[in-house]
Amino acid sequence: MIRLNNVVKTFPGKTAVHALQGIDLHIPAGQIFGIIGQSGAGKSTLVRCINMLERPDEGEVWVNGLLINNLGGRRLRDERKKIGMIFQHFNLLKSRTVYKNIAFPLELAGFPKGEIAARVKSLAELVGLEDRLDAYPSQLSGGQKQRVGIARALATEPDLLLCDEATSALDPETTKSVLQLLRRINSELGLTIVLITHEMAVIQEICDRVAVLEDGRVQEVGTVVDVFTRPRSTAAKRMLQGFLQPTVPDKLAEAGKKLLRLTFIDQKAHQPIMSRLVREHNVDVNILFGRIDQMKDTPFGVLMVEMDGDSEQIDTAVQFLQEQQVEVEVLG
Amino acid sequence: MFKAVVEFFQSYNPMTLTILRDATIETLIMVGASTALASFAGLPVGILLATTSKDHILEQSFLNRILGGIVNLGRSIPFIILMVAIIPFTRKVAGTSIGTTAAIVPLTVAAVPFVARLVEGAFLEIDSGVIEAAESMGASPLQIIFKVMIPEALPALILAVTMTSVNLIGYSAMAGAIGGGGLGDLAIRYGYQRFRGDIMLQTVIILVVLVQGIQMLGDKIAQRLYHRK
Ligand SMILES: Nc1ncnc2c1ncn2[C@@H]1O[C@H](COP(=O)(O)OP(=O)(O)OP(=O)(O)O)[C@@H](O)[C@H]1O
Ligand SMILES: [Mg+2]
Repeated sequence: MIRLNNVVKTFPGKTAVHALQGIDLHIPAGQIFGIIGQSGAGKSTLVRCINMLERPDEGEVWVNGLLINNLGGRRLRDERKKIGMIFQHFNLLKSRTVYKNIAFPLELAGFPKGEIAARVKSLAELVGLEDRLDAYPSQLSGGQKQRVGIARALATEPDLLLCDEATSALDPETTKSVLQLLRRINSELGLTIVLITHEMAVIQEICDRVAVLEDGRVQEVGTVVDVFTRPRSTAAKRMLQGFLQPTVPDKLAEAGKKLLRLTFIDQKAHQPIMSRLVREHNVDVNILFGRIDQMKDTPFGVLMVEMDGDSEQIDTAVQFLQEQQVEVEVLG
Repeated sequence: MFKAVVEFFQSYNPMTLTILRDATIETLIMVGASTALASFAGLPVGILLATTSKDHILEQSFLNRILGGIVNLGRSIPFIILMVAIIPFTRKVAGTSIGTTAAIVPLTVAAVPFVARLVEGAFLEIDSGVIEAAESMGASPLQIIFKVMIPEALPALILAVTMTSVNLIGYSAMAGAIGGGGLGDLAIRYGYQRFRGDIMLQTVIILVVLVQGIQMLGDKIAQRLYHRK
């Protein structure tokens, strides 16, 4: 769907900003792909390079098999009509009603009036705004504005939707409902979604794959489950700190006992592994922290435990856990 | 209010009334025509100034600087000097250099750069995110100008036209001084040269009423078009 090869972007100035320093990225079709990174990591620049709102200095941007950064003028505009985009601050036209905002891209593309009316109606239903079509953006809540933004982005039936911090201006409840809407669009319309955010929870909630961006470089890419439970890069580990990776106060880590973090993924999250561990391996287990959650559709659990027993017993216990495909990390 | 003023004049002297009425009509013609012409000519200049500025849809810094320089030059020439300086041009366009019709020419020339700057300001006020959103949907520069910038800036554009016409009322009084007719001319000829303080006062009242009326009308229209909080 999207392939970026060595994309470089530098903003010139007194102190030049190297926003993207050689991005290689493949974004497969049909998925919700998350890009996470701290403020200034280059996320917006990256996503804006996909529809050429920002032109890369170097590298290639392929969208649907087309080298998009060679295009200009009319050809580029035609390609852009196949790429929807939504924004943190919604960017609706204040002088237009909800109806007219959703109709806007269709007007640009020269659709006949009847067709526009039909599409606007069904899009408004999709995003749950069919009774607010005559309202102006100033009369809507943030969540409603973003729904208009989504409907507008989908109007020309694109096969790719770019979301630049689409939920960052919204409260947690509204964020959840907008994310659920995106998820539904992804599964019902088969639309590929590229979503950038600085919130881990957003990635956890709806993304299939995630790329961790730092200093204009992709530090790590993988499935959300992999990256969240087995982060390899320091950037990913740092971002995850305190999110799914609880930090245990030093005092609790008593001398002589083994401190372990266990991560159960998918069906393992609800099997009686712990009771078997204690029964069959003759170790004492003290649970310090526990959490069960879900990554998109994958359930997972994290347990922080202290294990007491002689070291041989502990070793076989750890081995047992690994055989059960539990992720074991020895913390101390 | 306007009615009260008219009644006041009616109880007065029919001759004076006719003079005042004709002068008011001349002022309205001068201001109306020059506002319309200057808005017509100033709008594209303002669009060009805004769209060729840095990071805008048609960024052209050289053109922008040249155009900006010309506009500044136009704005820095005092109206009374401009009026005299372009008399040959006025004569060519209007066929004469005196009278109400002739006065429309320098008034328009003086107002174009003014309008252009106001229009530029109105366009640069638009949230760049909205323009970017339109670009992301594949809008062409012309579509962005006509479907995004002008509608989004419409209330500000209406206020710009209002401000221009109010300014032109002031300028038209000066144009009157060199034979353009209108209320300014009347105030000078009767009020000043013939010591008719009453006529002077009445022209001033009419001017105040005109300015207030135009401003109120402009505010009202802009308010109606305004859909943001
Ligand atoms: N138009 C620009 N001109 C100059 N520098 C820019 C421009 N746009 C972005 N930058 C710089 O490039 C770097 C990356 O910016 P970018 O907006 O991509 O970050 P981000 O990851 O989206 O951050 P945030 O989470 O704050 O939105 C930053 O240092 C920023 O200051
Ligand atoms: Mg950003």
